[in-house]
Amino acid sequence: MRIRENIMKQTKIYNKPNLLRNCVLGLISVFFIGVVGFPLLWMVVSSLKPATELFKSPPTIFSDTITFEWYLDAFSNKTVVRYFINSLLVATGTTVIVIVMATFGAYGLTRFRFFGRKAVTVAVLSAYCIPPIMLMIPLYRIIARMHLNSSLFGVIIGHTTVTFPFAIWLLISFFRSIPRDIEEAALVNGASDLTIFFRIVLPLCVPGILSTGILVFILSWNEYLLASVLISQDSMKTLTVGIANYISSTEINWGVIMALGTATTVPIVLMFTAIQKYFVEGLTAGAVKG
Amino acid sequence: MYPVDAFLGQNGMSKEMVMENSEQAYLIKSTKQGRNIFLNFYTRRKLLGVIFILPTILFLVVFILYPVLSNLFLSLTDACLTKKNYNFIGFENYLKLFTNKMFLKYSWNTLVWTFFSVIGQLVLGLGLAMLINYQTIGGPFLRGFLLIPYVVPAVALALITKWIFNGDYGIASKWLQNIGLIDYKQSPLALPGGAMAVLIFVNIWRSYPFPMLIYWAALKGIDTELYEAAGVDGANRFQSFWFITLPQLKNTTIVLAILRIVWTATYFDLIWMVTGGGPAGSTTHLPIMIYQSSFGTFRIGYASAISILLGIVLFVCIIYYVRKSGDFAD
Repeated sequence: MRIRENIMKQTKIYNKPNLLRNCVLGLISVFFIGVVGFPLLWMVVSSLKPATELFKSPPTIFSDTITFEWYLDAFSNKTVVRYFINSLLVATGTTVIVIVMATFGAYGLTRFRFFGRKAVTVAVLSAYCIPPIMLMIPLYRIIARMHLNSSLFGVIIGHTTVTFPFAIWLLISFFRSIPRDIEEAALVNGASDLTIFFRIVLPLCVPGILSTGILVFILSWNEYLLASVLISQDSMKTLTVGIANYISSTEINWGVIMALGTATTVPIVLMFTAIQKYFVEGLTAGAVKG
Repeated sequence: MYPVDAFLGQNGMSKEMVMENSEQAYLIKSTKQGRNIFLNFYTRRKLLGVIFILPTILFLVVFILYPVLSNLFLSLTDACLTKKNYNFIGFENYLKLFTNKMFLKYSWNTLVWTFFSVIGQLVLGLGLAMLINYQTIGGPFLRGFLLIPYVVPAVALALITKWIFNGDYGIASKWLQNIGLIDYKQSPLALPGGAMAVLIFVNIWRSYPFPMLIYWAALKGIDTELYEAAGVDGANRFQSFWFITLPQLKNTTIVLAILRIVWTATYFDLIWMVTGGGPAGSTTHLPIMIYQSSFGTFRIGYASAISILLGIVLFVCIIYYVRKSGDFAD
């Protein structure tokens, strides 16, 4: 509430009708929208240009003809379709595992008092900072020892490792924002702990859990390093690894690559736009406190 | 104060105090006696809490703690991906590293890459946070739009970079050629200095949304009365930014900087996919060196030693970060 009042006040102070100021801010905004939007727009535009336009020098911004040949090209390739399915399976599997574990974990860490609770919270926070490059070699050995490097399970484990700390961290801040009073009322009325969790807390947290889930999905979909290391079989590769192989080859088919890039990025950006409100709330509520 | 609140251990009152003093606690006590024969209320809740976080603990131990320790152990051996057995060789890997000239060069690259990326994203993040904080018309749209780079896949970004900086057809290369910064038909990615500059620029583009969000939250938290007081005292906008906003954001900046240093110094995907560490090793930083030693030459013992050395530096940062945001654990 205090924050809301502050916003109101700040807006009042700085938003005295001032044409010059508004124009300058507007211009700056447009500039940054351009800087952020241009590379993405350029990818989409390039994927829709026929070859003659694509390799024209100097490049044209908008071509006269729009073609979907690169998309048809890309998706008539069975391997590419396979990569898509793999990515979808890996990201879904990771999301399910991470969300189940993190929901229980975050609830346990925010609502129960027991020995070592603080230590676990700190461990989660530290795990959040451990970069994938340092886990890569040991994870590779673990997965190889379990003979999982020719199946998608290996990557799912890898992605769980890198997304789990972030998920539990976000969920903790969501759980914190749910007032305890409701649970206490239920407790006084004789509800058991599990009833409280499943019938009261979970329904209240659906937006938080859903948006964390989508975020985990996105992170897993985008992940490259572990996916490239933990899979040895070509047919099991994920989309990011597949595309990365295409762009590092000497003979790059730019049209197809742009189509693939667009097809990888657009769904992700749309998903993120849908959950953005909750993501912003979750991240700014308790996240990095000074 | 709710007696039950104390019951859940919130405000540090002893159980006896609550039990004796409160009627409602009595209520719970009697329900408890009626319903649970084996365990009393506290033990049951403690046990349930432990069961809830058991998967978390197990996971952290097996897939985070064990790998980190395993790295430490491997760095003291001559382990190789192609051989089954390995020997304990003490600190030989580390000695080899310190006498390797390339290690020094790659560490320097890591430093340059991290320093400019982090400075860039913090400054840009703060600037844009102030912009979305002031902006009233279209504010939510602007904020949403500026957050998009957060989720753009690194691989898509890498291929865009390679395309717009392509020497023959790239639009950005064309611009640079027109203003005479580079030769005709040349790509900045083919120049040692240029490649690093482009990568840092792209990395800033990719990673400013996180600092922007956090700064935005912090800006909203600054007490407006400070600005009002400054306004009454005749401070102009720049002065109130310099003497109020910046000092108020000091802690946020420290925590953010640490977090971003850790992530940027170890960020692998972008550089690997755009330049692969080239040209002539000018964009190779330590993560790429780790990758090449483990999956190029298969010497995972050696690679572990690099990651431990990188890790020690970052470890100090991590400890500091965890302590700084210690109130996270309330």
